[in-house]
Amino acid sequence: MQYQQSSSWSYYMSMRSNRHRVAEEEMTMERVGRLASESAVVIFTISSCCMCHAMKTLFCGMGVNPMVHDLDLLPNGKQIERALMSLLGISGGAVVPVVFIGGKLVGSMDRVLAFHINGTLVPLLKQAGALWL
Amino acid sequence: MGSQRIIGGGLGLSEAGPSTHHHHHVPSYGVLHGINTANPSTLINEGHAFNFGELEEAIVLQGVKARNDEGKAPLFTTAPRPAATLEMFPSWPIRFHQTSRGGSKSGGESTDSALSTKTEPPFEAESPMSKKATTPSLDHQHQLQHDHHDASRIVGPSSSPQNQSQAKSPHEKRKGAGSTSEKPLDAKTLRRLAQNREAARKSRLRKKAYVQQLESSRLKLTQLEQDLQRARSQGLFMDCGGVGGNLSSGGAMFDLEYGRWLEEEQRLMGELRNGVQAAVSEGEMRGIVDGYLSHYDELFRLKSVAAKSDVFHLINGMWTSQAERCFLWIGGFKPSDLITMLIQQLEPLAEQQIMGMYGLRHSSQQAEDALSQGLDQLQQSLVDTIAGGPIVDGVQQMVVAMGKLANLEGFVRQADNLRQQTLHQLCRLLTVRQAARCFIVIGEYYGRLRALSSLWASRPRETLMSDDNSCQTTTDLQMVHPSHHQNHFPSF
Repeated sequence: MQYQQSSSWSYYMSMRSNRHRVAEEEMTMERVGRLASESAVVIFTISSCCMCHAMKTLFCGMGVNPMVHDLDLLPNGKQIERALMSLLGISGGAVVPVVFIGGKLVGSMDRVLAFHINGTLVPLLKQAGALWL
Repeated sequence: MGSQRIIGGGLGLSEAGPSTHHHHHVPSYGVLHGINTANPSTLINEGHAFNFGELEEAIVLQGVKARNDEGKAPLFTTAPRPAATLEMFPSWPIRFHQTSRGGSKSGGESTDSALSTKTEPPFEAESPMSKKATTPSLDHQHQLQHDHHDASRIVGPSSSPQNQSQAKSPHEKRKGAGSTSEKPLDAKTLRRLAQNREAARKSRLRKKAYVQQLESSRLKLTQLEQDLQRARSQGLFMDCGGVGGNLSSGGAMFDLEYGRWLEEEQRLMGELRNGVQAAVSEGEMRGIVDGYLSHYDELFRLKSVAAKSDVFHLINGMWTSQAERCFLWIGGFKPSDLITMLIQQLEPLAEQQIMGMYGLRHSSQQAEDALSQGLDQLQQSLVDTIAGGPIVDGVQQMVVAMGKLANLEGFVRQADNLRQQTLHQLCRLLTVRQAARCFIVIGEYYGRLRALSSLWASRPRETLMSDDNSCQTTTDLQMVHPSHHQNHFPSF
């Protein structure tokens, strides 16, 4: 009886922690979504990252005023980083910078440069209200 | 002079032929031929050099036959084997012959001295020998031949009596000069013969050593060629990340691959030019243009692989030519500069296309500024890491610095990504034929930069003092591209 109780108790506890984690992840994802929608252009960065600096320079050079969230300065930065990783579909390495335009995920520097060169970035920015003519 | 003539004969009949006419020694020269053609087998001594001791005994003056045989191959090149190496040293046997002739002329002393000089390195100048072998020596050769007559080796001694009388001229020192047939050889002659034999043996040994040296060098050469071949083929099969490679080998491998890429690019350029000239169909031209574009895609893929193993190699541009390196921007060309050049060269363009090109240039410039500023910040941060901090913290410092350096690969990748996107966008902006022309312009532009680099590298170095023009030229070159120097030199 006791054994059964303890095993079921541990099972209950592990299930609870799983659910906890899943719930947490869902919460983080919601948070990310909320943050991304707060402004026309949202960039998640790390303060010491140079590529993030390049990303900021690019948008500022275009006349956009992006909202920048430094993950190393946020309380749950690690979780947000994990959430971003799953959003991007990468397992490791550098995640940031990650850009959201109009609340929708655009991607990393790779994608931003590709969109900029093929001429789709500026219309996207205008659509989101980040750029005026 | 006589020696030169003989040498000429050793190298080839063509030289011997005309020269022999100038001298009255044709008969004796022909004698050598005659002897050779008469009994090559006896003279070929198991592939060794001449056994001149035996030769002396065997030489017979064959005047008539000699004259007839002038057209045959020269004695010294055929008798000793291996032919390949001997032909390189026609002087060896010739020297021997001169020695023997010189000896016969002036007696044992000159023979001895000639022999002694012969033991020095085989490639020394002919002059010591040639002095001994003067033109009248051939008569003495006849004399010599008669002295050591071996009937079994002689062929048709038709003119021997006549030469014999000539040969019996005033060389009293010559022992045994009077004998005309087999006779027990006297002491001095025996000594001379022995010395000749000894010298011949030594010469054979030297030649053997040299031949062995040559053979080993040849083996080494083939081995080197095989290694080179293997290294090249390995370059083909090396996977990304540089399997088993240290940093430098990653760069070396990329150099190899880039070389191959350039060769293929030249071929594709030829296809483009043919397509434009032959005015092929649109579909076919589209195929050629797409082929060229994907060739550039392949280059960027190679660079991304190389960036993982040796990013410094890509950034310092040692894989490009010097002129290209001058305009290097984060490990490659600057897209906005290329577009500026293309806008000029691709005229006439439709208005829409021109607008598109200018827009592309503008976007590229913004991206380039962003990446350059990011790289500047990386450099600054690196400097702060390495310069600051106490010495004690050295290891930690290095660890942090290494972490920052790892970001370099990201910048090179993004720069290449920008270049790749620019090329693709160019293709979208232009018609198929315009795109073909565009790629031809690009290919020729970089081809000329590479040609300029090699010309510059091989230019004759004039001192600036002596030549005002060159002074001015260098100043002009410097003035033409000051902005480029500022913008394009890598920040590291």
